Amino acid sequence: MKRFTNKETCCGLLAAVILALADGMAHAEEGNPIMSEDDYIGDVPKVLTVSRLSQAAADVPSAVTVIDRETIRASGIIDLPEIFRLVPGMYVGANAGYVYNTNHTVSYHGMTTAYAGSMQVMINGRSVYSPLFGGVNWSELPIAIVDIERIEVTRGPNAASYGANSYFGVINIITQSPLETPNNSVIATHGSGRNEVFYRHAVKQDALNYRFTAGYRQDDGLDNRNDFKRTRFLNTQADYRLGVNDALELEFGMADGARGEGNLANDPFVFLPRTKQINNHYQLIRWRHHISDTSDFTLQAFHSYDKSDDETTSVNLRPVLGTLLGPIIVNDNVYINNTVVQERADIEAQQTFALGKQIRAVWGGSVRQDSVYAPNYLDSNKTDYFNLQRVFGHVEWRANEKLTLNAGAMMEHNDFTGTDISPRVSLNFKPHPNHTFRIGSSSALRTPNYVEEKFRDRLVIPTKLVNPNTLIFQYRANQGNLDPERIISREIGYLGKIGRFELDARLFSDQIDDVIRDSDITDFKVPAKSLLLNPFLDDDVTGDVNRGGARVEGLEFQAKWQISRNTNLLVNHSYVHIRQTTDGLKRDFPNSAPRNTFSSLLTHRFNRQWDASLAYYQVSKANLLGDGDEIDLIRKSDFRIARKFESGRWNGEVNMVIENLFNNHYEEFAEYNTFKRRGRVNVRLDF
Amino acid sequence: MFKDSNDHCWLKKLAVLALGVILFCPALSHAYTGVTIILSAPSQAYLEFVDHFKDELILTKNTALRVKVIDMQETERPVVAENSELVIALGVKALEAASKLKFTTPVLGVYTPLPSFNSLLAVSGRDLGNFSAIVLDQPYARQMLLIKTLLPEAKNVGVMLGKTSSQYNELIRDAGEKKAINISIETINQESELIPKLQKLLDDNDAIMAIPDPMVYSRETAQPILLTTYRHQKPVFGYSQSYVRAGALAAVYSKTRQLAKQAAEIAVRTQAAPGLLPPPQTPKYFSLSINYQVARSLNVIVADEEKLYKKLLEAEATQNE
Repeated sequence: MKRFTNKETCCGLLAAVILALADGMAHAEEGNPIMSEDDYIGDVPKVLTVSRLSQAAADVPSAVTVIDRETIRASGIIDLPEIFRLVPGMYVGANAGYVYNTNHTVSYHGMTTAYAGSMQVMINGRSVYSPLFGGVNWSELPIAIVDIERIEVTRGPNAASYGANSYFGVINIITQSPLETPNNSVIATHGSGRNEVFYRHAVKQDALNYRFTAGYRQDDGLDNRNDFKRTRFLNTQADYRLGVNDALELEFGMADGARGEGNLANDPFVFLPRTKQINNHYQLIRWRHHISDTSDFTLQAFHSYDKSDDETTSVNLRPVLGTLLGPIIVNDNVYINNTVVQERADIEAQQTFALGKQIRAVWGGSVRQDSVYAPNYLDSNKTDYFNLQRVFGHVEWRANEKLTLNAGAMMEHNDFTGTDISPRVSLNFKPHPNHTFRIGSSSALRTPNYVEEKFRDRLVIPTKLVNPNTLIFQYRANQGNLDPERIISREIGYLGKIGRFELDARLFSDQIDDVIRDSDITDFKVPAKSLLLNPFLDDDVTGDVNRGGARVEGLEFQAKWQISRNTNLLVNHSYVHIRQTTDGLKRDFPNSAPRNTFSSLLTHRFNRQWDASLAYYQVSKANLLGDGDEIDLIRKSDFRIARKFESGRWNGEVNMVIENLFNNHYEEFAEYNTFKRRGRVNVRLDF
Repeated sequence: MFKDSNDHCWLKKLAVLALGVILFCPALSHAYTGVTIILSAPSQAYLEFVDHFKDELILTKNTALRVKVIDMQETERPVVAENSELVIALGVKALEAASKLKFTTPVLGVYTPLPSFNSLLAVSGRDLGNFSAIVLDQPYARQMLLIKTLLPEAKNVGVMLGKTSSQYNELIRDAGEKKAINISIETINQESELIPKLQKLLDDNDAIMAIPDPMVYSRETAQPILLTTYRHQKPVFGYSQSYVRAGALAAVYSKTRQLAKQAAEIAVRTQAAPGLLPPPQTPKYFSLSINYQVARSLNVIVADEEKLYKKLLEAEATQNE
């Protein structure tokens, strides 16, 4: 070994010694605890174990958009799904719908309906998409935006890693850990049609850390729509360290409140304007076990419960049914129990391990049971069960510094469509540490949801006659036996960094087959002694079929530019072209995604206290499916200005947001969702 | 006042100091014939140290030096043949006991944090000439070199200091400056400040450099610190092999064998003039520890450990020329 005389260091050290001598006495007298060698060389529990370490962006097999806490803050959003406007290719439309879902619709690359449900959505690894329609009731999630640490959006199918419903993409919302949460925090918002207040509390002890957030949200909804929402919620998250190698994570949350539902413009007869109650809760437990330096095991179980307590009574149907049918019905009004209860129980085990410096792998399996009780929709008073089992594996092989190969597959078996395999493979080439080229192919299946597979909802009106003894208006008449919709996605991606400029670009071509779509049912069997009202009302019975195929092609990019130390610009653009490859698609299908979506966020910090941001969104014309309409070009600018204050124990921020700065009256998703300028003030106090 | 970066200036002061030590030393003792190693506890590291130390003497053909071992867990007051022995104290507890021996007994502390050595030096009122140490603290310049080697583009590095370590504020800044690294420092006065201040550092810096201080880095804080920095996708440079295993990107540290070699060299060199122990020094020989899993996840391209180690050695040699 080479020998050194580290003069500089010796002198420096000596200086330190003499410096200390001068006040060393004082230190000793103060009773400053003397440091032990253990403070330097003592054992430290392993924190960043293999399972906690995610793949570096340059090694990830798909395009991933990460939205961090700071970006969420700068965007000034108030509704969680709004943040997805900053994801290239994502369509977000606030929708004051009329049946069951008065929520935002979020979709990626088209096929947007009010019930858009082709993405896996998770909060801390817990799948929150609805078994009923595959989408998310965003406003009912017991979470505050301030709870969110980071959102990772995988653009493109990734069933091999994230399982069921990872069809067009995957959204993974990660909340702030108790350790990073201020001890106490109060957040209040007041603005156009909105009032919110949250309280957050965190406790950090040696082995146990936990936090909770309790909140109340009042959302008056859009003008002229019955879509108000009142939500109370609570969520908690606890980390408990059992020892050097074991940790437990516990989560619990609940939400309840009232929802305005039903709009006369859409249905003046049966599903009338009314108020329904929602309540939901979830529980999760996760055990992390550290097997060795290169291997971890995780076991997770969760349960969630979701109830929409909804009853409706129709208008007097006699005049509606006319002079012929009106007099024969028993009651003037028809009562419908439209209650929906969904539950999900899921257990998942997985092992992550590294083999040498080159290979990292994860494999595991899960079992899930979803259940739905929906007497109106399923035409049955029984709870229906859906079982799903899957095994999955994924390997990352870093052949050398420049080449990473990812391969994975999921095998899934479920009650609706049987057994299927979704494989994926991709190659990342890094000619330079700052430049990565990616080429890959991924396949996934979308299992039909309850709406598509089992909905047989109808309006039943008893009559005084022997035959027909009932009048039936049949909405849907699904018989099941659908095949899963299939996607094979191919892409070429680039990830680069030049100085303070970062670019993530992607060229994609997705082939979608066996598209599940609504279709008129011509062979509907009318039950005995019943009269089907549909033909008289000029309305068809619908059901779902697998029909048609499409190719979705395009280009999208995300650029981040740190213009200066205090100024950042984020720009996203997506160009999507959909064309039919197999006959049978709905006419509007090729236009169900805006051709161009653009979003940008400019943030600037003036000084330690003041910062401001300007967001701009532009969405080209699109013809949205399932309750949606043809919607014109949207241009929207949001402005936010904030002042932070710090005074020892009390820290916080006051900010003001003006949404739709130039007051363009634009529509989203459907013609009835009109947006005007809105403003709000938000105050946060940490102590 | 210690910002002066001129080596020669310090060498001069050093010479004056050494002279002072010689002049004011009460009685110069005779060359020592043996070494007594006092262990704070019979831990594996300390027992290994004794073995390596003996091996080193044999290797350098200094077999005449007898080596005696005293375990502090067995005796309250170590009995040493004062005046004819060099005492090597392993750990703070042993050094504290040794500091109470006759002032003429040369004492060399090993496995001692610099702040603790300073405290003991001040409390015991001993002179540097016969009370010295190979401290556990790696030279800051070496740590900066490590950062620059692994992250050539790093310009801003955050440092959290506690009550004890805050005295090294200027030294750390200077060491950074020499490597064109701008050091931002946050001082932690109470535990609740830890994460908010860390987050503040993470917003503006490329990496975090850990400086041991029980207020900041402990078994309990390892998880929040490492998880928070990881969430910000930024690396931590640790100070021990254990911290690297826990999740820091890399650290320079000294193995028992390396500390034993340095101690043996001092023992041999000062055998003839026991009142002239060299001033306290940082570890001369060091090792490198890298967490490749962490590097991979942070997309830090790290060369082979051996290659990097060589590079560090060469850079340090150039730096000291």
